[in-house]
Amino acid sequence: MIVVHYLNQFFAGLGGEEAAGLEPARMAGAVGPGRGLAAAGLPVDTTLSCGDNFFAEHEARALSQLLQWLDEIGPDVLVCGPAFGSGRYGYACGSLAREAGRRGIPVVCAMTPDNPGVLAASGSAYIVPTGPNVAAMRKALPAVASLARRLGEGEPVGTAAEDGYLPRGARTNVRVARLGAERAVAAMLARLAGQPGTEIEPGRDRVPPPQPIADPAASTIALVTESGCVPAGNPDRLPTRHADVWLRYPVGGVTSLDAGSYESVHAGFDTRAANADPNRLVPLDAVRALEREGRLGGVHEYFYTTSGVDTPVAAAARFGQEIAAVLVSTGVQAVILTGT
Amino acid sequence: MRQIVVRQIGEGHPFRLGMMSRSSTMSMAFLPRSERQPKLSTLSGHYCKLSTMGRRQHENPFTLASCSVGDMAEGPQTAWSGANLMVSTEALAAAALRQAPALQDVTVHLVRPGEPVRITNVLDAVIPDVKAAHPQSTFPGVLGGLTPAGHGETTRLDGVAVLPVCDWTAAGLTSPGEFPSAFVDMAGPGQAMTAWGDRAAVVVCCTPRPGAAVGDADRSVRMASLQVARLLAESASGRVPDAVESFELAGQADEALPSVAVILQVASEGTLTDTFLYGGALIGMVPTLVDHREILDGALTSGAYDWPAVRNLTAFYQDNALIRALTAAHGSTLRFAGVILALGYLDTAAEKQRSAMLAARLAAQAGADGVICTTFSSGNSHTDTMLTVRACAERGLGTVAIVAETDSGLTDHVPEADSIISTGNTDELVRAWSPGKVIGGSGSAMAGEPVPLYCYLGACVQTGDMALTAVPG
Amino acid sequence: MLITALPTIAQMTGMNRILRGVSITTPTGDESLAAGDELALRTRIVARALSLLATDVAPGTVWELTP
Repeated sequence: MIVVHYLNQFFAGLGGEEAAGLEPARMAGAVGPGRGLAAAGLPVDTTLSCGDNFFAEHEARALSQLLQWLDEIGPDVLVCGPAFGSGRYGYACGSLAREAGRRGIPVVCAMTPDNPGVLAASGSAYIVPTGPNVAAMRKALPAVASLARRLGEGEPVGTAAEDGYLPRGARTNVRVARLGAERAVAAMLARLAGQPGTEIEPGRDRVPPPQPIADPAASTIALVTESGCVPAGNPDRLPTRHADVWLRYPVGGVTSLDAGSYESVHAGFDTRAANADPNRLVPLDAVRALEREGRLGGVHEYFYTTSGVDTPVAAAARFGQEIAAVLVSTGVQAVILTGT
Repeated sequence: MRQIVVRQIGEGHPFRLGMMSRSSTMSMAFLPRSERQPKLSTLSGHYCKLSTMGRRQHENPFTLASCSVGDMAEGPQTAWSGANLMVSTEALAAAALRQAPALQDVTVHLVRPGEPVRITNVLDAVIPDVKAAHPQSTFPGVLGGLTPAGHGETTRLDGVAVLPVCDWTAAGLTSPGEFPSAFVDMAGPGQAMTAWGDRAAVVVCCTPRPGAAVGDADRSVRMASLQVARLLAESASGRVPDAVESFELAGQADEALPSVAVILQVASEGTLTDTFLYGGALIGMVPTLVDHREILDGALTSGAYDWPAVRNLTAFYQDNALIRALTAAHGSTLRFAGVILALGYLDTAAEKQRSAMLAARLAAQAGADGVICTTFSSGNSHTDTMLTVRACAERGLGTVAIVAETDSGLTDHVPEADSIISTGNTDELVRAWSPGKVIGGSGSAMAGEPVPLYCYLGACVQTGDMALTAVPG
Repeated sequence: MLITALPTIAQMTGMNRILRGVSITTPTGDESLAAGDELALRTRIVARALSLLATDVAPGTVWELTP
């Protein structure tokens, strides 16, 4: 099993705050706390380090170098930290964990539960909760080593409560003694006695409503859709479900999405009516009519599309951020999004 | 196995999605039992001759006589030897084919638990049943003649399931990827994921005739599998059953007990995504009361093949954990007010709201204090569930909803849905397995790859027939 | 803003400006109408969408097509 360990400049023995601007470095074998991992049964193959300030100020470059090394090494598991309460160090650990996770590398981190690195990890890492400073090292290392060893060997990991890591925002299945129906009847009796209980609590992730646009007649809008609307024949092979991409197609000079020229490849609804008139998904003809009448300032030159079935929330959030970034940079003021 | 604790609102756990703040459920808190007026069912008042709920059936009550199957083996004819059953797969296949004009071939395989077999393209699971006195009325409206179910004796085989299999894509009747792969594993990490890995499987592999219309092919597949189910159960005629159950509700249950109804969500979205009530698809159905005994006795059958893990299989109607639990509790902790069928996947918000309103109204008319709302399959049917919860809450009926989750959490939610039973995360991956044999078409058998739980037949069924749930991880 | 026939899902995911669409399969269309009438309907839908974009709203606001 190949284990890579990420440390900051301090724990890598390269210096204190004065060394926080150090660029990423690569060392053979275990360094500093890595020796504690080895003693706990997890021999370290390679240690990577980066100065906390360098990472914070040059994140893209730092990640690029670190990920390149990870790609070369091909570890079975990556351990980052422990970062304890250190915010910059924790952020670097969490960000590296997130990107390593995208490459399919299992990651274990260790830090305090409200270290910003927990959010940065975006649910990718198994994070062992620790105390705020290095006094917690002795307790943290065996827990990290144990979890990392199991992940590296492809063994199943239990729930957050069972295996001592912070819930990652995932929902892990467990088999329980009672059937769902029996639990439902019990829950019903409990609620009728005034004591409702639940097995799921909904999440919160709210963006406040943006300011309204001043005047549509002076605004440029863009059309975006999750209806899987694409040029006929799906030339760029938009997936029909579980899409991991969004695409865009030019509408400059196009006044209507004609049947036969466009279609929907979305696997989640009956596309017959939409294919008979794709404006029923992306209302370009109506938008052009309003533009001609002077009730709308202008239309962005592309429409943006993906298939919104079986799409992980994290992917959908990323699409939204990426498309928004493009639109903001071109001066679009608002988006009409259509959903099926 | 961990004992799940149904948690109180407000009990925190620090997962990323955050905690629901103290809800407004106290405004829906119920009166202590001592202060509650007992509700009389308006139906039993006005329709006493027609109502079957809470009244003894003096004529021909439904009884379920179960014969447990020990070992199963293939042989020249279908016959019992002690508690073991030998089956002639050829004879079963020939009989099935005679009921299936749109099929060019039916092949029957017997697979025992523990054999390293992955069964793919599984459409349904059916428990062998036969109406003891009138076999030809078994599965009325589909295989059998049209006659009310839920009366008289039904003979059932315990310990064996009929699994119809058909590769629609190979037959040219669906496009590739239109439906996710549908598996039952008889060994390996997926064996425990379905209810069928622990009992003998009689796999009915169907091949449509080239050029057959998809509706005809589907009808033939269903007829073939129900025929096999009936023939297997017929083999036990004359045997002394191992268990005899009835599902009568004792007439004079204590009216101080709370009254609980089920709104059982079903769906018909067209051929290959239909549910059948006495053989008719349910498109256009308004919420309808059915007797729980009809459901157990073959009135409802499945022809819906999307999202395997959250399909209401025919077997989950025949052997329904909610009906069992509520029947058993009737008269001791609650009164079972009945089952209402209501559609999911209605196409417009107006239709969804109307159906939710009508279902809640029917539950109130049936005298319910509380309603358990189930969900059918994945996607926008969850909106139907949540709107039904809201409509019930608006009438002062307490609700519990049963839904499955995805990696993205709940598909839909309303604040009134503050008591939810989770049947598990359908996106979780089951470890890779390389079966020794694949039955049903190897095209998308995913051998050697991790398999999302949503591919396992009935694994997270949202009628609560399985024991899986999800917790923070 | 989002045009969808499922405003409760949209509210749950945190969408703030939501216009109820015609149906799941044709959010901005209605095949039961003649072509001219359908374009007129679609133009009203988009005009209403623009109006919603130009309006200050509370979180999770759902508008119908006709005020």
